[in-house]
Amino acid sequence: MKERTNEQWLMELRGPNPDEALADLYELLVRGLRAALGGYGGGIEANVEDFAQEALIRITANLGSFRGESRFTTWAQKIAMNVALTELKRRRWRDVSLQDLLARREVADRGPTDPQLTPEQLVLQNMVLGELRRVVDQELTDRQREAVVAVLLEGMPISEVAKRMGTNQNALYKLLHDARKKLKRRMKAAGLSPQEVLVAFEEG
Amino acid sequence: MLKRGDVLKLVRVVAETREVEIGCEECFERLDSFAELALSGVEATVAMPLVGDHLNKCEDCRGTFEALLTALRGA
Repeated sequence: MKERTNEQWLMELRGPNPDEALADLYELLVRGLRAALGGYGGGIEANVEDFAQEALIRITANLGSFRGESRFTTWAQKIAMNVALTELKRRRWRDVSLQDLLARREVADRGPTDPQLTPEQLVLQNMVLGELRRVVDQELTDRQREAVVAVLLEGMPISEVAKRMGTNQNALYKLLHDARKKLKRRMKAAGLSPQEVLVAFEEG
Repeated sequence: MLKRGDVLKLVRVVAETREVEIGCEECFERLDSFAELALSGVEATVAMPLVGDHLNKCEDCRGTFEALLTALRGA
């Protein structure tokens, strides 16, 4: 494959004869996707070419947004990874609704407490748990609570939760940030130091 | 709704919360530069701390970053 500077890539892709540059870029994206997705298994290999094609479309449609702060090929690979991972997450989570995820948690927490806890540790843990529950249930907005549970506690990808909540990933991250800041302030106001809480729950 | 097993997860992420954090869009825009820094042996989280902090907190973006690193090493 021909070596190109950033300027050469842009010139050829924008020019009257982009085919050679497109073919080289496609090949590069396929190699990168194979390397990155190799551990996924499940027939992902068959999708690599589709992901590369989709990425190529997005790259050529957005050449104007390349800022030249990295190599063009790095920027292009980034877009390809985003295309692939977004689709893989969609497939992995397509049958999971937010309602089901949240409803599962309504079942009472009947898990056994650690028998090795001293009575003092158990009292402290129960006090912390009670206070955190109060803050989460009463002081977060409904949307903040939903996002905290789905993303931070249940591990659903933020991009998938955003779709289900009718927003975008960036806006949801900001909503979660606001929720985290609120939790941090409330914990401080309640005299709950995160470090002390971590010690109380990790020593059990 | 909060379960006993959630406490560590929640408190860890709350403890690491900063007043100023960048969002996914801004992180994604800078991810290519960050990845090249990381591959060049520079301490990328020192050079671009807001990106490093975001990647520490956002699994989606961290996944994209790790895939990009692998792609750049392998391609």
